[in-house]
Amino acid sequence: MSRRYDSRTTIFSPEGRLYQVEYAQEAISLAGTAIGILAKDGVVLACEKKFTSKLLDDDGSAEKLYALNDNMIAAVAGMTADASILVNHARYAAQKYLKTYNEQMPCEMLIKRVCDIKQGYTQHGGLRPFGVSFLYAGYDDKYQFQLFTSNPSGNYSGWRATSIGANNSAAQTLLKKDYKDDLSLEEACQLAVKVLLKTMDSQNLNGEKLEFATLSLNKAESAPESTGNEATRGPATDEVTHRIWREQEIDELIKKLGVLDEKKEEE
Amino acid sequence: MADCSFGITGKDFVLLASDQSAGRSIIKMKSDENKIRTLSPGLALAFGGEPGEFTSLGKRRLMGGTSNELAKRGGESDMIKRDTNNFVDYVERNLRLYQIRNNTELLPAPASAFIRKELANSIRSRSPYAVNLLLGGYDKVHSEAHLYSIDLYGTKAILPYAAQGLGIYVALSTMDKYWYPDITRDEAVELLKKCVAEVKLRLAYQFTFNAIVIDKEGVKNLPL
Amino acid sequence: MEALVQRLAPPPAHVDPDEYDLGADGEGNLNALGVVRGMQVPRVPDPAAFLSTYTNSMSQNPQAKIKLEHGTTTLAFRFRGGIIVSVDSRATAGSYIASGTVKKVIEINKYLLGTMAGGAADCQYWETYLGMRCRMHELRNKERISVAAASKLLANIVYEYKGQGLSMGTMICGWDKTGPAIFYVDSEGTRLKGDVFAVGSGATFAYGVLDQGYSWDLSDEDAQELGRRAIVAAGHRDAYSGNTNNLFHVREDGWEFLGNKDISELWYKYEQEKRDARVAAAAQPGSGEGAQGENPARPTTEVQSVPMEE
Repeated sequence: MSRRYDSRTTIFSPEGRLYQVEYAQEAISLAGTAIGILAKDGVVLACEKKFTSKLLDDDGSAEKLYALNDNMIAAVAGMTADASILVNHARYAAQKYLKTYNEQMPCEMLIKRVCDIKQGYTQHGGLRPFGVSFLYAGYDDKYQFQLFTSNPSGNYSGWRATSIGANNSAAQTLLKKDYKDDLSLEEACQLAVKVLLKTMDSQNLNGEKLEFATLSLNKAESAPESTGNEATRGPATDEVTHRIWREQEIDELIKKLGVLDEKKEEE
Repeated sequence: MADCSFGITGKDFVLLASDQSAGRSIIKMKSDENKIRTLSPGLALAFGGEPGEFTSLGKRRLMGGTSNELAKRGGESDMIKRDTNNFVDYVERNLRLYQIRNNTELLPAPASAFIRKELANSIRSRSPYAVNLLLGGYDKVHSEAHLYSIDLYGTKAILPYAAQGLGIYVALSTMDKYWYPDITRDEAVELLKKCVAEVKLRLAYQFTFNAIVIDKEGVKNLPL
Repeated sequence: MEALVQRLAPPPAHVDPDEYDLGADGEGNLNALGVVRGMQVPRVPDPAAFLSTYTNSMSQNPQAKIKLEHGTTTLAFRFRGGIIVSVDSRATAGSYIASGTVKKVIEINKYLLGTMAGGAADCQYWETYLGMRCRMHELRNKERISVAAASKLLANIVYEYKGQGLSMGTMICGWDKTGPAIFYVDSEGTRLKGDVFAVGSGATFAYGVLDQGYSWDLSDEDAQELGRRAIVAAGHRDAYSGNTNNLFHVREDGWEFLGNKDISELWYKYEQEKRDARVAAAAQPGSGEGAQGENPARPTTEVQSVPMEE
C-alpha cells in the first residue's frame, strides 16, 4: 500500500503520513546516541562515537559536535554530510545576524532558521529530507541556557534533558529518572557518562568512543570604573564559552566517576 | 529645509527634541510637522534630511571640505523630504516585523545597528537616502538609556549628548558646558531649554520645537 | 614709461580729501603725513579674479596654492564693568596650523582694541593704520576719538577696497565719552554696534556658551571667566581655533591684559571642576541629587502621557 506514496516526499499517504520523512527519522535512530543535559550553570552535550578504527587518522577533533557561533553548539545524529550543509547555513545565518544587529543571534531564532530549511525539503518536489537530528546547546541574554532538538521534519522543541539517535528512548527513561532541577554542570557531565554507559552496547567506555562538549559562562570582571565619557560605557556582560573536550579529559572524567570499576565488579 | 535636533541622555532617560519646520529652499510651508517618530515603546527617532543649499555649503566650508556636491543635492530638497519620511517608515515597519516574527522587541543597541546597516547599504545604492538621525532608547534589560547619532553615510556614534543640523553650530558648546554624567532629568530639561533658546537667539531660521522623553515608562511628550 | 605706469595704476583708493595734495615724501604707500595713497594692487583688469586664482580669499577654489588664514575665534562683549575681549591664538593655512601664538588682539591705543579674524595681514595692516589715524584725530581735536568714529574710519577704508579681496572681520572695542562700546566691522563693509559679538569659524560655538552665561550685571570676575570659557568651548569644537587664549578687559582708564592661557589645559580644568562639583554635591547630605537618604521634594518635569503620533 505504502509503495505508491513513500517514494515521494511531497505526497501524503492515504493515512496522512509522509513516509520519506519518517524513514529519515528511522535512519537517525540507528545513528550514535547523543544526549544533552541542561544544568543551572551550563549545558553538556555528549555523543557516542560509532565509528572508531585504529587506522583512522583523525586529528582528534569531534566529528559530531559543531560550534554554530559564539553562544551555540550542536550535536548531530544522522548523516554527517547532510549535517554539514545545515551547519554551514546556521553559521552563515548567525554571522549575518551578528553583522546586522551587532549582537549574537537568539538561540531559538537560529534553530528556527535551520528548521525552516529542513521543512522545505519535506515539501518541495524531488528533494530528499535532511537525514539529521540536532541537539542544540546555547545561551542568550533573554532565556539563559537552553537545550533544543530538531528532527528531519523541521520540528524543534526545548528540553531540560533529552537524547537523540540509537536507544534514545532508553536514554530518556534514564534521564527522566536521574535528572534534578538544580544540577551543576559537573553533575550533568557525570550523569551524561552514566546514561551513555548504560545505553551504549560497548562494555568499556573511554574517551575514544565518546565526544563531549560543554557550554558555560565566564563571569565578567566587574566593569572598571569609567572615566570621562560615561555615556559610552557598555554593560558588563558575562562571556559565553563552549569547549569540545579532548579525549584525555573525557578519560579523566570517566576515571573520576569510577563507573567502569563498578561495572567490572558487577561482572 | 534646514533641520535642528538635539538629544540628551541621563542615567535612566533620554530627551529628544526636533524642530518642526518643513518646506522647500527658503520657504517654510509648515511649522508644526512632527519630526520625531516613536518606533517602539522604548525607542524613538528624531530625523532630518541633509540640510539644503545654504547650510550644506557652510557646513562643508567649516569642515574644511571643498566639494559642493551637497549644495547640488540641496536643490532637490523636495525629494529629500520624501526620503526621510520614507526611510523612517521603513525602519519602523521592519522593527515591528521583527517583533511579530520573533515575539521579542529589539533593544536600542541592536536596533541602532540595524538602522546603521540600512543606511550603509543605502549609500552604496543607486538612490541613497539623505537622512540624519538621532536615535534615543531605553534599554529595559540593562536599565540604561542610550543615544545614537547616525548619519546618511552610515556612521554610528554612541553619544552622551548630541546635536544635529544647524543646532551643532550654536548649541553643541552649550551642551559641552552644562552636561555632566548622570545629569538629573530636571537639569537635562533645563539644558534642552538653553539649547532651544540659543537656536532661537542666534539662528536666522525661525524654529519651533517639540520634544519627548524616553524612560522605563516609555515615550512621552515633553512640553518645552 | 612713467606716464604709462600712472595710466595703468588704479586711482588712489583711499584718500583723505583734506590731505591728499600735502606732502611729497613718505614711505611705501603712505605720504609724508601718513595718509594712504592707494594700496598697491596687482595691475590686472580684475584684481579680485587675479587674487582668487592664487588664494582662497575670494573663492572656494580648491586649487588655490595660498590658503589665507580664515579659521579663528574672537569675541567681545559689553557689560556693567566695561568690555571683555577674548580671542584664541591659532593661525591656519588650509588644514595646516601655521602658528599657535598669534596675537589676535591689536592694541590700537591705550583705550582701543581691535580683534583679528580673516586675513591676518589685512587686519594687522589696517588696524595699525587705524591707530595712526586715531592718533592724528587726537592731536588735531585735542580729544580722543570716539569708538564710533574710529570704527567708521576703518569701515570706510575697507569699503573703498570692497570686492578686491580684503578679508577682515574685526571688533573695535573701546571706552569713550559715551562709555564702553563695541563695533563690528568687516571687509564687506558691514558696521554694527552691539553688546555681544563673536567672529570667526568658531564664533557659533563661542556664542553657545556666551549667550547662555551672559548678563549685563556680571561681576568683573564672572565676565572674565565667561570670556575665557567661551573661547575654550570654540577651541574644543572648532578645528581651526585653539592653542591659547588671550584675555583683555577694557575699563574707563584703558584696557588691561589679563594673560595668556592654554586652551586644552583650560578645557580639562573645567571638566575636572565639573567632576569635583558633583563629588562635592554628593558628599553634602540633604542637598542636591547625589544626597543619600531622603530625597528632598523637587519639582518634577511636567510630563503628559500623550501618544506621539499625529
